[in-house]
Amino acid sequence: MDATTAVLQNPTTIDAYQALYDALGRAYWDASTIDAKDLIQGARESIYEIITELDEAQLDANTTALLAIQPKIEDTNAALKKIKASINEITKNINTAATVISTISKIVAITAPLM
Amino acid sequence: MPAQPDISVRQGHLPGFSFLSLPLLLILGGCATSPLAKHTAEFATATNAVVDSSEGAYRAAVRLHDDEQISAAVQKYDANQPWDPHNIKHLIDARGLDARTDILDGLKTYAQRLADVTNGGESESLNAAAAAAGTNLKEMSTAFNSGSTVPPSGFSITRSQANAVSTALKVLGDFLVSQKTRTAVPKIINEMDPQITVLSKLLDSDIVVLRRQSNDDYEQLLMQQDAFIRKSGHDLSPIERRAEIKKLGQLILRKETTDDMLRQLQSTIKSFAETHHALAVAAQSKDMASLSERIADLEAAAERLNHFYNSLPTT
Repeated sequence: MDATTAVLQNPTTIDAYQALYDALGRAYWDASTIDAKDLIQGARESIYEIITELDEAQLDANTTALLAIQPKIEDTNAALKKIKASINEITKNINTAATVISTISKIVAITAPLM
Repeated sequence: MPAQPDISVRQGHLPGFSFLSLPLLLILGGCATSPLAKHTAEFATATNAVVDSSEGAYRAAVRLHDDEQISAAVQKYDANQPWDPHNIKHLIDARGLDARTDILDGLKTYAQRLADVTNGGESESLNAAAAAAGTNLKEMSTAFNSGSTVPPSGFSITRSQANAVSTALKVLGDFLVSQKTRTAVPKIINEMDPQITVLSKLLDSDIVVLRRQSNDDYEQLLMQQDAFIRKSGHDLSPIERRAEIKKLGQLILRKETTDDMLRQLQSTIKSFAETHHALAVAAQSKDMASLSERIADLEAAAERLNHFYNSLPTT
């Protein structure tokens, strides 16, 4: 970010432009002739374009910062997935115990008449 | 003679599980959800609200800014500078929108996995596995005592004892799950907390920009509509002119509604960060204040066991 961009992205700078934009808006609606309104609209549009560029620059800067956080969230999600898999393994082990007991029952039921 | 299983169970007594502990657990009623699980559930709700509203806000802001450019182009169409419709510039480009969507979806996944992991003790599959083990044990007892086993096996359990085995397995499963979550999850939440703080500040910064830009886009649309009415309104029929003038009021209402929604989203983002911080504190807390939470954890566990025990078959 160069010095000019830094100054322009300063919240105080943006707020000053926004205050000017708002003041010109009030002047537009107060003006009684089409010529006066056109004149004010032209000036206001220039301010609007500056504010839009500053807003776009701020959103771009936020995009870069958001992209820097993204790997951390992905790593964390992977760690949680691993824990969830361990928890599922506990259930699987209890299921195995239930299956073993069920299998023993079946074997006993089959072999009982032979005993 | 086939080898007999080395299990000897007397009526009313099960090895490794005191039947007396069940009434004690059942007495411990109260709230059914542990504080950590409650916080993760709240956090998942807050996250869903933030993610869905944010994604909607980005799309709406981009669309509004596109509309403003099209409206401005219509107004300037016959001016000296020709308009190329390809020159429409989105407020947030595809890379920026993709980055936001990816990170917000990642947040949703994080919140959901956190809720899943901390609610592991209430897992339906764990309950089913524990219940099946008891039921199968009862069936095994029936098989061993079918009348044709000679001599009698000596292995016999009642339905109550089988249910107690199921409950014991459920306790064991809960304990193992709890061990897993208590050691790993607080660390994850704590490490994530600063990232959530930074993320919520960035989202808030985005919304500040969207509020300002949406306000200005609507203002531009208002001026363009007003200029159109004043310059071309005389070519319209009275009904058409009336409809165009009404649009000014409708634009003002939409502008106010949009700003209200964005302001609410800012508030939700703040709540989202605070909820995660509370979650991190609750997960890490080891001081005396956490004792009540530990007791509540125990009560929640007891309540879950109570529900589980009552859901088991009685015949």
